Amino acid sequence: MADEADLLERLRQQGISRRSFLKYCAGLASLLALPPAMAPRIAEALERARRPAVIWLSFQECTACTESLTRSFSPTLENLIFNVLSLDYHHTLQAAAGRHAEDARRQSMEANRGKYILVVEGSIPVAEGGVYSTIAGISNLDMLRETAAGAAAIVSVGTCAAYGGLPHARPNPTGAVPVSEILADRTIVNVPGCPPIPVVISGVIAHVLTFGRVPELDDLGRPTVFYGQTIHDRCYRRPFYDRNLFAEQFDDEGARNGWCLYKLGCKGPTTRNACATEKWNQGTSFPIQSGHPCLGCSEPDFWDAGSFYQALTAPPVDVAKWVVPAIGVGVAAGAAAGLANRLRKARAERRRQPLAADDVKGGEG
Amino acid sequence: MSVSLQNGLTTLAAGIDAPIASFFNSCVHCGLCAGACHFHVETGDPRYTPIHKLEPLRRIWQREYTLWGRLLARLGLLPPPDEAELAEWQSLLYDSCTLCGRCSLVCPVGNDITYMIRKAREGMVAAGHAPEGLKTTTYRALTTGSPMGVRYPALAKIIASLEKEEGIEVPFDREGADYLLVLSANEYMLYPESIAAMARIFHRAGLSWTLASEGYEATNAGIQIGSSDLARELLLRIVETAEKLGVKTVISPECGHAYTTLRWDGPNLIGRPYRFRVVHLLELFDELRRDGRLTLAGKHREKLTFHDPCQLVRRGGLIDEPRHLLDMAAEAFEEMDCAGVWNWCCGGGGGVSANPDADALRNRAFAMKKRQFDATGARKVVTACANCRAVLEDGIEAREMALEIVGMAELLAENLAPPDEETQHE
Repeated sequence: MADEADLLERLRQQGISRRSFLKYCAGLASLLALPPAMAPRIAEALERARRPAVIWLSFQECTACTESLTRSFSPTLENLIFNVLSLDYHHTLQAAAGRHAEDARRQSMEANRGKYILVVEGSIPVAEGGVYSTIAGISNLDMLRETAAGAAAIVSVGTCAAYGGLPHARPNPTGAVPVSEILADRTIVNVPGCPPIPVVISGVIAHVLTFGRVPELDDLGRPTVFYGQTIHDRCYRRPFYDRNLFAEQFDDEGARNGWCLYKLGCKGPTTRNACATEKWNQGTSFPIQSGHPCLGCSEPDFWDAGSFYQALTAPPVDVAKWVVPAIGVGVAAGAAAGLANRLRKARAERRRQPLAADDVKGGEG
Repeated sequence: MSVSLQNGLTTLAAGIDAPIASFFNSCVHCGLCAGACHFHVETGDPRYTPIHKLEPLRRIWQREYTLWGRLLARLGLLPPPDEAELAEWQSLLYDSCTLCGRCSLVCPVGNDITYMIRKAREGMVAAGHAPEGLKTTTYRALTTGSPMGVRYPALAKIIASLEKEEGIEVPFDREGADYLLVLSANEYMLYPESIAAMARIFHRAGLSWTLASEGYEATNAGIQIGSSDLARELLLRIVETAEKLGVKTVISPECGHAYTTLRWDGPNLIGRPYRFRVVHLLELFDELRRDGRLTLAGKHREKLTFHDPCQLVRRGGLIDEPRHLLDMAAEAFEEMDCAGVWNWCCGGGGGVSANPDADALRNRAFAMKKRQFDATGARKVVTACANCRAVLEDGIEAREMALEIVGMAELLAENLAPPDEETQHE
């Protein structure tokens, strides 16, 4: 149940000074592309927040989104923000189990109706009436609908919840769909990534608490502040791309020199995310910096977009194998069509009756 | 009688060849041809977009020669053109197209729209949807030998009176002559003075030439109405006469489409090469000028301009020849806007002048010519096509303009140098 003690008090109990709290708020303001003057307002809003209740539903997922948020960032402020939220239901983190856990969820929904934040991790299987994933005998589908009804805001964390992710990949045996497909009439904030960057998750929640509404979203439901640019736009290897310097193999000179990984399949040019600027593990690095091309994990259907190691412009099939037969088939079809047309033309020429003077005699004659 | 809707549609299908199919395939619907057509420019009516005039032919192409079209036709979703539709399209294919070729020239993918219109007319005339005026003209040409109904005896009289006036012999049917001159009906009916001018120039140049009593008519109404069968019949009269007389060269007179027919369409129409060569009068004059056999004693003083006949510049490439002659003949020659290959049509080519249905539209399109003429400030316009001349005179009369049109032969004959000593010694 939500505790009525305010945030600052709880931070103090955890040894966080007001000064470092304000620094966090300023950082958050800049991250959200807000003017610096907004920092005090964020601080004020967060201070007044009465431990907002969060219900975190885990469906078809691997828990990496939770792992990303909870473990790798400890003990940063983002983590603490979560500590000061009232996380009323979370499979991995809650101590309760079985009926007690479900009771906790229902109690929280009751007590905070219309005020709690719903976070969903994982996709929802809808094939066969949703039997592929159930919790306490309730299908994911039913649980999502029931919990979403009273939520103030809904956040899909991770590519599975946002776009279906791995469970949605071909041939999708469970009929996995993203949250947005079930709750078509609700505004869903998508925070895609496999997993997403922790600060993006906490930033979105801070935005909701500060302004009482979700941040500006793009056509794929992503907050534009974090997903406005491609990895490629902000990649530190971009100058090599511009100068046509590429690593062709993982152990060649280009790879050792840190050249662009485009030809090794980097999906940076088509992937919108903040990895190149926020980075991972407390700003240590991100995949491209450690020498591996971007997989495009925050884009819809990235599992089905061909090999991770094939350049974006590479054709999806073995051209050398197909081009010759394809040309052959094309030439044969063209020749056949041409022959057929010639026969039709010849027939029309035979059937055509030539004209003579009488045919233009008209009214005068 | 072979005229029927069915025969029209069959003729359209038979006429679609590889160029037509590839033209329809390559059309990118850019609409540039609209801005090239004087009828569209002057009226702003989108129906006059040249490629749009080909809708019936396009439909036949789709139905007969494309996979999708055949499928749709099977399902009854792509019906063939019917009588009412062809009747509607008659005005677009005949009244609003002079076959001037400006659209073909402007087309960015190289579609020869003029060639397509010719092919569409083949089907229209076979379906009985050609304008009455053009039908009458064609019938007269086939039955009397001249689109104006002038038979040989009448022509002989006209020529005889010219001979008397000029004091020059104008021979008929002279075997073994080098040159056979064929004539446009407009020349012997409206402008006999131009024939007199030609005779004087030929005489001064010492040309061995003749007229013919059969196959004397150069124009070809079959080409204009769009029937290859009829065009062939008319053309063969000239070819047979030329080969019987054994001339080396046939001279196309001051006429546009006669030149196109004789020079470019002819061998394809009759299915074999000629045993003579064909030159336009302008080419011949320029050859004579180059060889020193055509010299002038003076230059025309007044400012004048030149109207390029479409068939000569766009379809025939005769751009420099008239300019050589004008430089020789005129002191103050000024080019019109769009002169040469981009010149605007007189508005009456391609059978339009023989088609009273088109009179009102033709008169509207003349506004283009008026602007061109007015901008030069010239009082005299030279041209090299008797049909252009007649059409332009119509427009000038309708708008009460103070402008005179003359043929190139007359301009040259005006200041023809007197026989010099050398010639006299010969």
